[in-house]
Amino acid sequence: MNNRKSVEALRLMANNNTSTAGKAITCRAGAPLVIEEVVVDPPKSGELRIKIICTSLCHSDLTFFNLVVPPACFPRILGHEAVGMVESVGDGVIEVVEGDMVIPVFMSDCGECRDCKSKKSNLCTEFPFRVDPWMHDGTSRFRDLNGQTIHHFMFVSSFTEYTVVHRANVIKLNPAIPPSRACLLACGVSTGVGAAWRSASVERGSTVAIFGLGSIGLAVAEGARLCGAARIIGIDVNPNKFALSKKFGVTDFIDSTSCTEKSVSQMVNELTDGGADYCFECVGRASLVEEAYACCRKGWGKTIVVGVDRPGSLLKFASTEVLHSGKIILGSLFGGLKPKLDIPILVNKYMDKELELDKFVTHEVGFEEINKAFDLLHQGKSLRCVIWMDR
Amino acid sequence: MANTTTAGKPIKCRAAVARAAAAPLVIEEIVVDPPKSGELRIKIICTSLCHSDVTFLNLNVPTASFPRIFGHEAVGVVESVGEGVTEVVEGDTVIPIFMSDCAECRDCKSKKSNLCTKYPFKIDPWMHDGSSRFRDLNGETIHHFMFVSSFSEYTVVHLANVIKVDPTIPPNRACLLSCGVSTGVGAAWKSASVEKGSTVAIFGLGSIGLAVAEGARLCGAARIIGVDVNPEKFEPSKKFGVTDFIDSTSCGDKSVSQMINEMTDGGADYCFECVGRSSLVEEAYACCRQGWGKTIMLGVDRPDAMLQFRSVELLVNGKTISGSLFGGLKPKSDIPILVKKYMDKELELDKFVTHEVGFEEINKAFDLLHQGKSLRCVIWMDK
Repeated sequence: MNNRKSVEALRLMANNNTSTAGKAITCRAGAPLVIEEVVVDPPKSGELRIKIICTSLCHSDLTFFNLVVPPACFPRILGHEAVGMVESVGDGVIEVVEGDMVIPVFMSDCGECRDCKSKKSNLCTEFPFRVDPWMHDGTSRFRDLNGQTIHHFMFVSSFTEYTVVHRANVIKLNPAIPPSRACLLACGVSTGVGAAWRSASVERGSTVAIFGLGSIGLAVAEGARLCGAARIIGIDVNPNKFALSKKFGVTDFIDSTSCTEKSVSQMVNELTDGGADYCFECVGRASLVEEAYACCRKGWGKTIVVGVDRPGSLLKFASTEVLHSGKIILGSLFGGLKPKLDIPILVNKYMDKELELDKFVTHEVGFEEINKAFDLLHQGKSLRCVIWMDR
Repeated sequence: MANTTTAGKPIKCRAAVARAAAAPLVIEEIVVDPPKSGELRIKIICTSLCHSDVTFLNLNVPTASFPRIFGHEAVGVVESVGEGVTEVVEGDTVIPIFMSDCAECRDCKSKKSNLCTKYPFKIDPWMHDGSSRFRDLNGETIHHFMFVSSFSEYTVVHLANVIKVDPTIPPNRACLLSCGVSTGVGAAWKSASVEKGSTVAIFGLGSIGLAVAEGARLCGAARIIGVDVNPEKFEPSKKFGVTDFIDSTSCGDKSVSQMINEMTDGGADYCFECVGRSSLVEEAYACCRQGWGKTIMLGVDRPDAMLQFRSVELLVNGKTISGSLFGGLKPKSDIPILVKKYMDKELELDKFVTHEVGFEEINKAFDLLHQGKSLRCVIWMDK
C-alpha cells in the first residue's frame, strides 16, 4: 500500500434518530485507507448507535486490511477494539441509555441461549462468532455518499465516528475507566488475560510457557501474572522482545531462532524438569501448537490454542502420546470470557490496580493519522496504538 | 501349607506359559523366586482375561518376549513380602495393578495425575529392576507382563503395583478392578468428571465401553448413547445404562457424528472413544458439544496412528481433548473406593462376568474373547 491520501472530511452533522453523516475510514479493495464521509442509519430494534471515543488497532484488522480475496469484502469499515458513548438506542433496548459508556465486542452475549446461560461456555448460539460483513439481521447500517452499501466488520466496525451494534455485542462500563484503557478490553488484552484466567484457570505457583510475545502473548503473561504463576517462559523469534516482556511478567526467555541442537520443547522441558503446567500458542501456527503440546507437563498439562491459523491448517498428534500423556488440548476464543460478566470484572481489576493496561499502549494518534497505526503494527513497532476520534 | 514354609524360598507352581506368538498357553510347572526388596509374592485366587493380554500374546515381531506369563487382571493373597515392605503383610487380600503408584514422585503426590514417574507405564517384560522372578524347570527365564503376570499360581509384584483391598469382596469381582472395569468407570468418573443429568456418547461397546457406561450411570448421566458396528450388543448394553443405540453400519447418508448431533441437539457433553481408531476419535470430537464438550480417548490404537484436527475449528469450538490411561484413577486411593462402591451396591460388577473356567481351561477364555462371546471370563486358579 503506497499512496496514502486523506480526503478532506466534511463537517459532521448529527441528529437523533436520523441517519448521521460522519467520518469513517473505509477500506476499499486494494486501495489506501481513506477518510470519507459516510451515512450511519439509526439503530433498528435491539440495536444501539455509538459515538466512538477511541479505538485501537488489532492484528485481525490488519489481516483483513491486507486480504483482497474472500472472505474479505469491500467497501468495509474495519476496527473492533473500541470504547464509546451511546448516542441513541433502538426499540426494546433498555439495559443501556443515551450517554452510557460502552465497549462494543465482537463476541456476542445474548444472555438467553443455552451457551450464554451456561457458566462453561462463551460461544453464543443465537449470534455465533463469525467475521461477518453485516449486522445480525444480514443488513448494513452504513452507506457512502453515493448510496453504496459499506460492509460491517465483526459486528463492531469501530473506525468511524459513529457505529451501530447489536445489544448482544455491547458491554456497559464504569465511566471512570480512561477510554484509552477501556478500548483494549474489547479484544486483544481480554483475549490473552482470559486465556490464562478463564480458559486455562492458571493456578498460583504454576509454570506457564507462551509461544509468541505479541500483544496476545503478553496479555496471556499479564493474565498468568495476575493468577499468581511463579514462572512465565516467553518464546519468540525476536530477541528484542525479551526486555519489554519482563514488565508483563515474563521471567524466562527462549529465542527460538537460536535453539540449534535442541528443539524449543526440549529446552522448555529441561528448564521446567518435565514441562510447563500450561502452554499457550499465541502465533497461529500448527507446528508451534504441536511444539507447545510437546513441552506441556504430563499428567495435568494444558495446551491452549489462542493464535488464529490459516483456514485448513491441521493439528496432528500421535494417538499413543495423547492416550499416555494425560495432557489436555483446547482452544480459547476471546479468552473464554463471557463478555457481559467478565469485562466489567476486568474493568474493576484495572481500577483496583491489579490488572495493568497502561503498558499495552505504546502509541496514540488522531483519527486522521490512522494509517500510521497500521504502519507501526506492520513494522512490529507497536503493541497497541490508540486512535482518538476527536483529534 | 503354612506360608512360613515357603517364605524366602523359590516356589514351584503351575503357570500358563506363552511360548510362541498366537499359540495356546501351556500349563506347566515353573519356579517363582522370592520377592526382592520392595516386592511381594502373591498367591493368585483368580484372574480375568483382558484384550491387552490377547494383543500382546498375538504380537509376532522379533522384539516380542517369549516365553512369557501374561495376565494382569487378578486378585490374590500375600504369601510373603520382601525387605522393607510394611504396608501389606502375609494373608492380606491384594489386587495387583499394571499402573504403578509409588506414592512418592511428583505425579503420585499430585491429585491431578495418575502417571507415576518413578515406575512409568510400559508394557515391560521385567520387574522394575530389569530382572525376572520366573524361570521354567530348565532354568530358562520367563518374562513378566505389565508388572503383574497373573496367569500363574504365584507371582511377584512390586509394592507400587499392589493395592490392599477389603477381603470380603468376592474374588471374581475384585479381579475386574485391576484393569478393564476400573479403566472405563474411571474414565467417566475421574477423567471426564461426568456430571449428573448430562449426555454421554460411547464409541465401542466392548468391556471398556460398557464400563464407561457403568461409570456414567453411577455419575448420574441422563442419557448414554452407545455406538457399535454390532447391533447384537445393543440389548445387553441396556443393563449397563446405555439408553440410546446407534448401529454405525446402518447410518446411511449421515455420519455417526451427524446423527448424534441431531439426537442431542448440538452434541454430547462427553464423548468416549473405546475402540482405538483415530477416525473414531475424530468422529467423537465432531459430535461433542461446543463450549464445554469433552472428548476422551481410551482405546489403544496402532503405534503410528495420528489424530488430526482443524486448527481454526479447535480454536473456536471450546471443546477439549484428552486421553485416559487406567481411567485417570490413582490406584492406591481409588481402587478401594470402587471396592466400597461395589460392596455398597452402587457399582455393579456382576454383569461383567459372563463366563468362569478353571485354570486348566484358560485357553477357552481366549477362544471366547476371540469369538466375541464374552465380556469377562474369570479363571479360577484352584479349580
